[in-house]
Amino acid sequence: MSDAVLLARVIDSVNVGVIVLDSAQRVVLWNGWMERHAQLPLADVEGKTLSELFPDMANGRVQQTVVSALTANLSSVLSQSLNKAPFPLFSSVNDRENGVRMQQAIQVTPIVAQQPRYCLIQITDVTLSVSREKLLRDQALVLRRHSYLDVLTGIANRRRFDEYFDEEFRRARRTTLPLSLVLIDIDHFKLYNDYYGHQAGDQCLKQVAETLAGTLQRPADLLARYGGEEFVAVLPETDLEGARRVAEVMRTKIAESQLPHASSPTASHVSISAGIATKIPGCGDAPTTLIEDADHALYHAKKTGRNRVVSLESELR
Amino acid sequence: MNTLSEIQHDTLVELFNIGVGRAAAALSSMVGEEITLSVPSLDFLHRHDASLALSVGEADKNVCGVTQHFSGVFNTDVVLMFPEAKSLELVRLMVGESIPLDQLTEMEQEAMTEIGNVILNSCMGTMADILAGEMHGSLPTYRVGTSEQILVAPGKGDDIVIVLRIDFHLEKIKLYGHVAFVMNADSMQSVCDHIDRYLSGFNL
Repeated sequence: MSDAVLLARVIDSVNVGVIVLDSAQRVVLWNGWMERHAQLPLADVEGKTLSELFPDMANGRVQQTVVSALTANLSSVLSQSLNKAPFPLFSSVNDRENGVRMQQAIQVTPIVAQQPRYCLIQITDVTLSVSREKLLRDQALVLRRHSYLDVLTGIANRRRFDEYFDEEFRRARRTTLPLSLVLIDIDHFKLYNDYYGHQAGDQCLKQVAETLAGTLQRPADLLARYGGEEFVAVLPETDLEGARRVAEVMRTKIAESQLPHASSPTASHVSISAGIATKIPGCGDAPTTLIEDADHALYHAKKTGRNRVVSLESELR
Repeated sequence: MNTLSEIQHDTLVELFNIGVGRAAAALSSMVGEEITLSVPSLDFLHRHDASLALSVGEADKNVCGVTQHFSGVFNTDVVLMFPEAKSLELVRLMVGESIPLDQLTEMEQEAMTEIGNVILNSCMGTMADILAGEMHGSLPTYRVGTSEQILVAPGKGDDIVIVLRIDFHLEKIKLYGHVAFVMNADSMQSVCDHIDRYLSGFNL
């Protein structure tokens, strides 16, 4: 076997797509891998340009890189992520029938051995890597979602609140629209636990969380478990009046759900106290100031009899 | 150190801006999103000073680099570098998918390599066009390491490094990276000669 024949056999056998184009972009080499995955024998493609063979590739990025290899002597890579399967290649008969193209990583290099120049295109099947990464991404998203949920109540947890509130605070500063915060506390929850036991206490927290979450209508509103028996609602683009309405609905809904609370000095059922703070944040304001204000208002609500909504502006000015 | 006259310096900045302008057009059409690139400044440094300057007090922080070798009228290793965190931001903006991982995945590294490849080819292609020489460009390679590791690998310590800052502007987000051209004194002289020849065409 002569060296040239041996070399041709090797190129035909490698597990990579190999195409060589001449200076007029005509196919002069098309290996076995290309024949199999494009379902086109060399005889059908020889002497034709890529845009004659695959009209949807005309003036695409592959062609641009071929031109820069042939005219400017430059090598290029085309990644799978930024170029969705440029060549109509298929990993299996099944994929071909379903029109699912092979995921491709492509390298285009000039062959400088002689003038006029040739251009080498190498194509690698990265379908497996792509599906592996999709799996990784999906898993990571699931993990992230879990890391933002409060295990007991199924609503957002403190970590999620901290991040979300920070984002919304900065957005409010940019848009100069008011941001409201409602801090909610279950009245005499310690007495509830002592009287009914911790398992019933957990059920109570779940029920309250569900009722509170049901009162929030807009997608941007967020209810989170702040800690223990405290909940917090972030209400973007909401003024004090709007926040007061939301908090009042929450207080009423909890009262209406008539969860018995025999040991409560405030009412015969579970009730909540809520503190509201509203602000159009300025340049120097820190997110913590709004939380402190809401906390202050909540303290006031508890001090003045519980089962009520208090806003800092209305009561404390 | 500055081995270029002011007019040579300004010409180079101008050439690189034309180059990254072409790269921006190519990248914009790839991602279907308006991307602007510009080169506001350029410095000449010894290799050791360059790796110090590029690490700006964060010598232990990783950068990712896309390197290509160009040979022809002059020889140079060209490296596009970003702090690793910035490369995550850039690639995920361009690919339009976000993976909550703090390293580039294999496919994202490939995308980063392509982005670097487009920018470096455009810069060198423009220089070759305008300075009327021909350059052969190798395939790009992707590496992560300290700026010292990424710059030191090829060549010798007395090489000259041209460092450009390159500003990216996409989707209201601005970030910047650096492009370092590492070359020996002979190649640097060749660059100067070609700029002079180009400038003499204007009868200044």
